[in-house]
Amino acid sequence: MDIEFQRVGKKYESGQDALSQVSFHLRRGEMAFLTGHSGAGKSTLMKLMMMIERQTSGQILIDGVDLRTMGRRAIPFHRRRVGVVFQNHQLLLDRSVFHNVALPLQVSGADPLQIAKRVRAALDKVGLLDKEKYYPMALSGGEQQRVGIARAVVNKPQLLLADEPTGNLDPKLSAEIMNLFQEFNRVGVTVLVASHDLGLVARMRHRVLTLSQGRMVNDGGFG
Amino acid sequence: MAQKPNRRGATRESIKATQNAWSSRSSFNLSQYFRQHQATLTESFLRLLGYPLASMMTIMVIAIALSLPGGLYVLLKNVQSVTDQWEQQSVITLYLFPQLEDTQALALSHRLSALADVASVEYISKEEGLRYFERSSGYEQIMSSLLENPLPIVLRVIPTQSVDVATLPSLQTLRDQLATQEEVEYAELDAQWLQRLANILSFGQRFVYALSVLLVIAVFLIVGNTIRMAVESRRNEVLVMKLVGATDAYIRRPFLYMGFWFGVLGGLFASLCILLLSWWVSAPAERLIELYQSGFQLQTFNADEIVLCLTISAFVGVVGAWIAVNRHIANIELQ
Repeated sequence: MDIEFQRVGKKYESGQDALSQVSFHLRRGEMAFLTGHSGAGKSTLMKLMMMIERQTSGQILIDGVDLRTMGRRAIPFHRRRVGVVFQNHQLLLDRSVFHNVALPLQVSGADPLQIAKRVRAALDKVGLLDKEKYYPMALSGGEQQRVGIARAVVNKPQLLLADEPTGNLDPKLSAEIMNLFQEFNRVGVTVLVASHDLGLVARMRHRVLTLSQGRMVNDGGFG
Repeated sequence: MAQKPNRRGATRESIKATQNAWSSRSSFNLSQYFRQHQATLTESFLRLLGYPLASMMTIMVIAIALSLPGGLYVLLKNVQSVTDQWEQQSVITLYLFPQLEDTQALALSHRLSALADVASVEYISKEEGLRYFERSSGYEQIMSSLLENPLPIVLRVIPTQSVDVATLPSLQTLRDQLATQEEVEYAELDAQWLQRLANILSFGQRFVYALSVLLVIAVFLIVGNTIRMAVESRRNEVLVMKLVGATDAYIRRPFLYMGFWFGVLGGLFASLCILLLSWWVSAPAERLIELYQSGFQLQTFNADEIVLCLTISAFVGVVGAWIAVNRHIANIELQ
């Protein structure tokens, strides 16, 4: 998926500028990190891409389509093309690992046999095939995050967004998770990972976008 | 720079593009759609069973709210059918002077039969009247204690016009005309109190309608509030579903079915309450009917009315849920 921000601004009703004049172009199949202190606007930028929020100025083009032209009804279909991984994983605690991962397929009305096949493929990719019957609370933090990743990739999204996916994990697990993202990128998925772990980001040797107080202060290689 | 596309066209294009992208990977078909609905229907029912006490309380509140107008409706229906019977029997009763001879009375009877407004005249002699009273329950002792027959000859004049509110004035004219006959001491048109009854009935009808409207609104609010709490308790689920691309319709569906179940089960219990209530009052009601020697049969909720009750309550359940869900799911987004 090809993403282009053109002088994008987001002003909240309180008058606070979360983002201002943010421009960048993430090409199809590219992988990049988004860094910055907390409150720099990383989450806001991700929310704009998922259409959880709308920009107040500028243009966001996804595969050449201006997001402003998409109405409320188009949002679910847009989100089906985007896989998202959250810091707090957002798993449903009353459903098994299998059913958590199956959710994106269920909501889009996929065939049950197809669902089972794809869920197992996704769980296999994150190394949790043997845990499909477990409930999220029975898993470790790293495993929960990997379930979140499986859910994000289960319907083969064109864009993978991750908001602080390694926030609560130790360095070894963090590196594992990052390697997973890299693998998905290798098969053509556009990947954008927000992280404040600068050491880890630097080691990954990918493009780094840095936000500071809502402005893009650096767009270049390796932090 | 991208071209500036037509807003609306672009939206439709982008929906179509993403839908196509999806459907190329998993084909959409109708049987699948119905299967999904059926699964949601079952799932939402099982969810109600998951909280049996809370669900039962909501269902019973709905049932009570519905059984009140339903019960009044049945009462009204019974009163209506009683008055319908009386309307057919309605006559002008002429009480002749007691000293009148049978021959004079018969002559009057023939004269009246010839009138255009009169269909027939029934002649009730003093003796027949006495026998009638003796047969009537509750009067035997009084009648047997009398030394002589105090009853006058009575003529039951049956007008050609049937009695309803519209024909009442002309029937009253006829009664006045009959009352002027010199043999007649007193003429009574029993439609007079029928009209009073009709007025009371139409008052009762309006009262039941108004009460029904109020209680149906109450059911809306009960269902709406219950569904609102259900949405709130599943807030996280709704949030995650939205994030992974669930449409509003998809998210709404289980809650609509929940409303449907609340409505149907509430309606079912309301019908049961009414049937139970009818059964409970049937014994004294039948004794009352016997006393009046009427051919009238006690009516209760019939199959059609149960179906109607269920349909209305299911409809109210779904619409109440719809309003509550729409108001709430729009506000649930990642903070």
